[in-house]
Parts: sequence; C-alpha cells; structure tokens
Amino acid sequence: MKAVVVLLLIGCAHDHLEPVSVTTLAGHETLAQDTTPKERRRMVPPEVYIRTYLELFGGLAPLAVQQKARGKGNLFDTWDDYLSALGLPDLRVDIPRTTQTNAIMIATFERLGVALCDRAVEHDLAGRPPPVSERTVFAFDAGATDEESFAGKFDVLHRTFLGYPAGLAPSGRTARFFDLFRDVVARHAAKDAPKSAFKPEEAGWAAVCYGLVRHPELVLY
Amino acid sequence: MSRVKRLVRLARLLPAFVALAATPSRADKDLTDYRYFRALAIDLAGRMPSRAEVDAFAKPGFDLDGWIETHLDGPAYAERVRRVYMDLLRLEIGPSFQFLPPPIMLRRETIVGPDKKDIYVYYRRGQRRRDANTDGEFCLTEADTGLVLQKNGPPTGTAKPVSQAALDRSTVVVKPWWLYADASAEAPADRYGDGWGQRFPGYMPVPALLTEPDGKTATTEVRVCREETQTAEYGMVFASGQKPGPPPPGVKHVRPADSGFVKSHAGRLVSCLSSTGFQISVECGCGPALERCLPSTSSQNDPPAFVLPTHTPLGADLPFELGPQPISSWSRFWWGQEAVRFLDDVFLQDRDFREILTGRATLVNGPLAQFYRFIAPATCCGPGQELDYTSPEPLFDPSRIPPLLPEDTATWVRVPDRGPHASGLLTMPVFLTKYGSRRARAHVVYSAFLCKDFVAENLKLEPSTEPNLMVRPGCSTCHATLEPMAAYFTRVAESDWTWLPPAVYPLSHPRCDAKNPPGFCKTAYDPAFKELRAAYASPAHAERGPAGLAEDVVAAPEFPSCVARQVAQSFLGRQLTTDDDALLRDLAATFVRSSFRMRALVRELVKSDAYRLANDWKRAP
Repeated sequence: MKAVVVLLLIGCAHDHLEPVSVTTLAGHETLAQDTTPKERRRMVPPEVYIRTYLELFGGLAPLAVQQKARGKGNLFDTWDDYLSALGLPDLRVDIPRTTQTNAIMIATFERLGVALCDRAVEHDLAGRPPPVSERTVFAFDAGATDEESFAGKFDVLHRTFLGYPAGLAPSGRTARFFDLFRDVVARHAAKDAPKSAFKPEEAGWAAVCYGLVRHPELVLY
Repeated sequence: MSRVKRLVRLARLLPAFVALAATPSRADKDLTDYRYFRALAIDLAGRMPSRAEVDAFAKPGFDLDGWIETHLDGPAYAERVRRVYMDLLRLEIGPSFQFLPPPIMLRRETIVGPDKKDIYVYYRRGQRRRDANTDGEFCLTEADTGLVLQKNGPPTGTAKPVSQAALDRSTVVVKPWWLYADASAEAPADRYGDGWGQRFPGYMPVPALLTEPDGKTATTEVRVCREETQTAEYGMVFASGQKPGPPPPGVKHVRPADSGFVKSHAGRLVSCLSSTGFQISVECGCGPALERCLPSTSSQNDPPAFVLPTHTPLGADLPFELGPQPISSWSRFWWGQEAVRFLDDVFLQDRDFREILTGRATLVNGPLAQFYRFIAPATCCGPGQELDYTSPEPLFDPSRIPPLLPEDTATWVRVPDRGPHASGLLTMPVFLTKYGSRRARAHVVYSAFLCKDFVAENLKLEPSTEPNLMVRPGCSTCHATLEPMAAYFTRVAESDWTWLPPAVYPLSHPRCDAKNPPGFCKTAYDPAFKELRAAYASPAHAERGPAGLAEDVVAAPEFPSCVARQVAQSFLGRQLTTDDDALLRDLAATFVRSSFRMRALVRELVKSDAYRLANDWKRAP
C-alpha cells in the first residue's frame, strides 16, 4: 500500500511551471474564451464614498456635515472616528489604503448611512419639507404610499444610491423593499409601538433608505 | 466575390458590430451599461453619479464619449490618478520626522515684566551673543529674571520683575510676519483678524500666538531678544575665545566653543541663512519681521503653533479635522501639499508624465516660498564649514521663488524651473525626508516606476568584512542593483536637501587620507572606500545626481509598461496577470505614442473591455 502511495506521489510530482497565458496552451489557441479576470468587486474608493456622502448632505463642507449629522441623538461622532475605518490610507504613518471591506468598515458604512437617512428624513419629509427639487435624498412627494406609488418613489432612491433604475435590479427587489416599508409603517402605527422621532411613513422611508445605504452595490463597483 | 472573401470581409467588420452593440447610447440601456457609467463616474468624476446624471445617461443619444472627454479634463480625474502615485510613494511626512532646526525655531519664554505682569520674550536657543553670560542662550540672565531656563522643561527659580533697563538692553519690539500681512512695511497695520479667513484660508495661528499671557489682550507686537531681530544677510565669524571642554565646577553657563574654522576665519562673512551663520556669527538674526524664523508658543521643543488639518482626503481645502499642530508640522504639511499640487498640475494640464521625475517645475504657495527662501538653507552646512562650505548651493534657486506672503496659503504659483539640480519629485523636501537614506530613495523609485522589487536570495548569511555590498555574499543579489541607483543621490545629504557640490566635495578628498581626518570626512566620506558616501558603486551616477536617475528611469524599457500597470491595477482594483498582457501592451503603446500623456492612457483604459467588464458582478439580492 505504501509503495502505491509513493508511486502516486512521484507520478503527481512535476517541475515548477511559470504561469503562461492560456492561449499558449495546446488546443486553446482558437477557443472562444472570456479572458476577463474574475475577481472580487472593486471597493468604491473612500474618497468617492465621502464626496458622495457630502453631496447627499446638500454639498456641505465636511465639518458642517459632521455638525449637521450629529444633530440630536448623536448619530454621528467625528470624522476622525470614521476615516481610517472607511479604508483611507494615512500616508504620514505609512498605513496603506484598504481595498477590501471588513467588519469594522461595514459597521462604519452603516453608522454613516443611518445618520444620512435620518437627517434626510428630517430635512426632506418631516415638518414642512422643502420643494421636491430641493430635496437631496427623498426627492418625491411622499404622501400616502401604496404598492403602486411605492415603486416610483423607490426608483428615485434606487437611482440616488445605486445609480440605476430599480426596474433593472434583480427581480423582486422593489417588492421586498415595499414589504419592508409596509411592515415598518405598520409597526410604528401600532398602538403599542415604542416612541419614535418619526411618523410611521417617515420611519418606513428611513428603513428603505437604511436598506439601500447598506446595500453591497453601494460600496462596491 | 467568392464566398470566402465575403466571410473574411464580414469577419473584419465583426469588431465594429461588437463595439456598436456595446456602446451604451441606445435607449434600452441595460444593467451593464449603468454599471459601466457608475464606474466611470466613480473614477473620473470622483463621486457616484447623481440622479440627474443617471437620468441623462438613460436618455437615447447620450454622448458617453463626450462625457468621458469632459471628465478627463477635470480635477477629479487628476485627483484619481494622483491617488495612484500618492498611494505608491506615500508622500506625506509624519510626526516621526521632527523638523526643528535651531536657526528657525523662535522659542518663547514667559517672564515677569517691569509692571509685574507676565510678558513673552521670543528667542533662539543657540543664538550667538557678544555677552558671554547669554551667548548661545536666552538673552536675559537669571539675575535679570530670577529664572533658570531648562532645556525642554519649565524654568526653575523664583520669577522677579525684570527691569525696564534690562529689557531695553536685551530685547526689541517687532511686528512679526505671522501677525501682519504687511509686516515688511514701515508701519505694519494689516493685522491678523477679520477677513483673513477669506484672504488666506488655511492660515490659522493658534490662539496663544495671538494673545498676551493674560489670554485676552490681542498681541499686536512681540518682544524678541535683540540679536534675533538682526536683518543682515551675512555675518562675520565671531571668535569668543572659548575653548572646548566641560564647564568649570559651579559654572552654569558656558558659551559655545570656537571651532577650528572659527579660529582660522574670524572676521570672515558667512551666510546668515545657513546653520553655519547661526552658529558662528553674532550678527545673524531672524531677518526683517522675523521672516526667517517660525514662531512657537513655549521654550519646549515642538509646541503647537498653527492650526492645521489632520485629515485631507478631499484636499487641503476641505479639512475633516482641524487642530493645533506642533510647529514642525507646518513645514511638513506644506511639503506634502507641494507634491499634491505638482502631481495635479502634471495630470490636469496633461503634461509629459515623465516630468514627475525629470521636470524642474514645481508649484509653491506662501509658506513654501518662505520655506525655500529662508528655512531650507538652515540645515546647511554642518561640518562643511571646514571645507569653507557656508553658503548652501540650493536645490531650488531662491531667485526663482515668487514673492508670496508667508501667510498666503491659497495662492499657488507654478515655477517653471527650480534650477539645475531640480528633478521632479526626487528633489522635493517631501521625497528627500520621507525617504531619508539614499538607498531608500533609490528603492522607492525602482519599485514605483520600474515595477521591480528586491528579493533576497535564499542562502545562509556568513559573517563578512567585505564593505562592498555589491559583492558581499547574501547582499549582492539586491545591492548590485541598488547601490548604483543609490549613488545618484550621493550629492544630496540624507534626511535633508543640502546639496554637496563637487567643487567643495570632490568624490575623494585628499584631507580624508590623513591619519586623523577632519570631522567632515566622517560625515560625508565613507572611510571604507575613501569616497563620498554612496558614490563607491558608481562615481558616474554620483556626478549625474537625481536628474541622472530620472533620465535613466524614464528611458528604461520597463517604464511605460510599469506606468500602465500601476494605473490599470488601481482602476481595475486588482493585480494584473498574464491574461492582461495584451491590455498592458496596448496601454503602454498608447502611452508612448501619446508622448507619455496620462490622459491618453486612462482614456484607453476606461474604454477597454477589461475595465468595462471589470469584476464578476453576480446578481445581488
């Protein structure tokens, strides 16, 4: 038995081979092939994420966003707490750029995203909202929302965060987000619902916003 | 026409059909088209596409090529490409490099004034004075102030009011550059205050520089030790007669001893901008309005002086965190900004990319103009005085520095030619201090611009006395290449920018062959080779300097493909493999054909299938 194993190992042993293009291998010269390397998705550079974030906050300067995002409830700490977690390099001390997501980074995206969504709800939907043209995130007339009208409003958010119409998203995405919206509205409207800063519909839209800012498509490309 | 010929003709047209099908100008754009557009926005506009842009893209006839061209002309594109090279070269200096040359450090001591109120007095530690009691130290004695000054610590003793006579004898009142934009005028009046934020954004002295010791009264002028206020450009060598050696018992202060150069050159003129002038002349000061010095808020080594951003991922104009920074941060911060502006200029103006190594141009603002004019020479010349090297030969010719106010952080002026020794990033302070040793400088150029690295061979290291690393077993694998590259930096001092001119520092110096060689031999010459340090591997490279390295690197056959590789890897978010050889070849060829223009390379890259279809985008839930 040992001899068989040894023979097998010897048989499988080979010299070190340098990597070559597949087209140089016999039989592969003319085969149609997709030579696009298959890799993990690229992470949106943190600079791009941050600049987009600032624009969604109305084009404010970073320190102004920090102040506005913090607001009531301390949803936001300081940029200093987030920048390295977002993957920015610190060239002064030779910390390189992070090019793949990690748990702390995801948590940071979530923290920043929730602050953005809540402040956007307060700005765009609560109280006396500005005209639709001046809303940065919820650029639609919220009003009463049923499944049919939800699709159009969700499409606005989908294009805002993910960059393409919701109609092109994998099937069922709009319906799933409507379920989320409906459930959150219902929970907030319930008699025994915990106290919330948002009205039921506002909470529903905030939840939809949370879902999109957490979506992997937002931070990958 | 035969059937075969028709087929061949059709086959030739096939790529055009494929390209047409892939061009997202049709109305029914699919997910791939949108994702391609999103990627373009991320890479060329520096942000995710806005809703309005997505809507515009969705319309039939959207001119994507036009959109790409427009954005290849914008600052976000320049920033994107700059990031590639900033990530590779990491051209920012951290706190581990403390830039605190004594000639530029204006320290501050708090004493009790004649009216029994605290007052500040600024001084330089090491300032030469004719008075033996204060030579090299604070200009007021313990007898004057009741204080015993400590190096890098609070003073001891019991403070007593200084007499007006002593104050008048030893100090002068000045309106300094950091408080007045018109400090050079006869009667400066334009004091820091309202409106400066718009005129000089980014210029913020810490509050302690703007108020008197009571913390309330606005400082309108500062009291400075008399010698520090001198304005002469040259001062005479001053021989005090002090012999070297420890102080006699009971003596607290000993004035600086006379060096051999001082003894033999007393009365000779030396540059007051150099460290040498500061060390050996009593006539050298901080210049008019103290423009040759940086202020600090205590007598400690690196106290806060200016408010600076600590994080600038979107540029210095958009700070994410502002706070008081040590005085040494002031210079370090602007060195880094010089590299940023220089790279942006190359990419935005679509200049020949090779200029980032070979170009003599740079961009400076007020703080950098002040640095190059007055601060940079302060690290020269050390033991070079023994060779009569007392007026530094600059890497940046001061006559070409634009007349900018030190406060003017916002005005950036392009200087087309810094001088004969300048060579792109390689002679900028940020590069020369980030990569302090000559080998480190060579190594980073080798890896960033030739895409090669040094990998040690697998062998057992044996003890060796062989000083030549190019032949020493275990070292030679890397150093046979590294040492000749490091030799290009022979004439730029390590962790510094002081140029060692051939007329002063010949490759080998006869005086260094003596039995007891003078001090400069130990610092500048390698005793093992009897040559300038780092020159042994290639005297020819040593004479050609950093500009020689730049010329050789950009002429290397690996250079264009390395640039293409670095940029493509960054844009594709992955390492290139042999499967990318064709892409790499095309990109490098385009780069060379376009006379090394980055815009052409990026244009070809973002229109390539590799970029368009980058990454395996599986369906997300």
